[in-house]
Amino acid sequence: MEKVGIVGYNQVKLYSDANYGRYEMIFEAVRGAIDNAGLKKKDITTVISCTNDYYDGRTISNCFTVEVGGGYLADESKVEMDGAHGVLYGLMRILSGNHKLAVVWGGSMASCFPYHTARLYETDPTWERPNAYVNDITAAGFQMRAYMEKYGVSAEDIAKIAVKNRKNASKNPLALEEAQNSNITVKDVLESDIYAAPVTELMVAQPCDGVAALLLAPEKHALKITDKPVWITGVGWNQDPYYLGDRDLSGSKSMELAGKMAFNAAGIKNPKDEIQVAELFEAYAHEELIFSEALGLAEKGKGADLSSEIDGKLPINPSGGAIGGNPPCATGLIRIIEAVKQLRGEAGKYQVKDVKKAVASGQIGMCAQNNILYVLEGGA
Amino acid sequence: MSEEKVIVANKGLVRAEFNFWVGRYMDKFYDGLENKKIVGNKCPKCGDVFVPPRKICGKCNVVIPFDNNWVDLPDIGTLVNYTITSYKVNDRSDRKAKPQIIGMVRIDGSNTGIIYRILDIDSSEVKTGIKVKIEWNDQTKGDPSDIKGFVKV
Repeated sequence: MEKVGIVGYNQVKLYSDANYGRYEMIFEAVRGAIDNAGLKKKDITTVISCTNDYYDGRTISNCFTVEVGGGYLADESKVEMDGAHGVLYGLMRILSGNHKLAVVWGGSMASCFPYHTARLYETDPTWERPNAYVNDITAAGFQMRAYMEKYGVSAEDIAKIAVKNRKNASKNPLALEEAQNSNITVKDVLESDIYAAPVTELMVAQPCDGVAALLLAPEKHALKITDKPVWITGVGWNQDPYYLGDRDLSGSKSMELAGKMAFNAAGIKNPKDEIQVAELFEAYAHEELIFSEALGLAEKGKGADLSSEIDGKLPINPSGGAIGGNPPCATGLIRIIEAVKQLRGEAGKYQVKDVKKAVASGQIGMCAQNNILYVLEGGA
Repeated sequence: MSEEKVIVANKGLVRAEFNFWVGRYMDKFYDGLENKKIVGNKCPKCGDVFVPPRKICGKCNVVIPFDNNWVDLPDIGTLVNYTITSYKVNDRSDRKAKPQIIGMVRIDGSNTGIIYRILDIDSSEVKTGIKVKIEWNDQTKGDPSDIKGFVKV
């Protein structure tokens, strides 16, 4: 694959109920990314936005973000998935050879609408929706149980992931305040409100308000913009069937295939020995285990044995992951940004040592129906 | 800060309800429900049996012809998964008085799971692998609500 560089990024502080509007939030993220990279509006040749009409409460919701997203009288189009899928579109735009600088931004404000209720709209309107038994939370209840029962994994093992990520989030100044907790215990997680058993409140990546932006450029141009580019050396994406009843929810076939595709592109043969950090979009604590196993970082059912703390053998979600704050349509994009920070040595208190290669993932759909994985490498 | 926020809600200004046509295959399925019968269909290529029936087998990427391939199935199945929640799925600001058990059931003779409530069972007694049976509504209408839920056999 030709080299495409990440030449800038920016993320706003995540809030459960931000006291400013999404219009300003988008501008802050995008303008900040451009300013941080020492660029100007006229340098942007294409803009990819990532939002969701249901979450924005209007149709073709990118029409109101033209001015703030850098798309004023410019080439702009939208991806209605996770921000990490927006990056795929941006990557393709750059690889087409027609663009020198792509802005990819994504995000929303979950404080404005009942997020979990809106997820009911993903279900089949001619069959499952009228019954209203399935939203993202009940689906996650099925997924967690399927994983636990297949491999004999305990709820404690899964709660430990929530503990790790909430502790990690406390070191991340941009994480959601409600998710930051350096004193949290496994007991706290297990005894928190039952959302859909066995899933409890503190295992959930709380939907929140936030926007993030990323800048992409072709190799030659990237080297002119920054002396610290991060290269996208592999990407893979795949999707599972639509109906939950058709799927084996104990694993993630789509993440497995996405991983193979990305590792193959990046020439990675043994991911667990060749990458130094992973930022995975875990909408629920158990998904971090399912994904790390699907990516071959651990054997099936053994994800909980991984040494994945910040100073562990293979740190996963040192930023706090999605549990550290989950602004719909931005979360996967933030995972990529966090991996970039690790590669550039800009992760502050949660910096992992000697990061040369990192992976970052995004997802969308019930029980992570669609997954995308990036392999990123540092160095000019 | 939030006390000072001015909130504009979109209530009652727009009313645009969708009326989805369920299609011929689901029409036949709902006719079955009205008669308290479960009808599935079988992929001519891989042999998977779908409940509800489908026009296309995604795995084989083929059309399952409408004129045959129908399979009559029992109203009994296996509980393959479940979750328990007090929250209303369609309105999380509200809780039910009693937690509901939502189960994924594989109807005997089919290869897919369908999602319904599990009724009349204590949450401590629920486990995957138990046999369950449809509890039909007395008055059926030919829609998803004809199945009240599943009960332990």
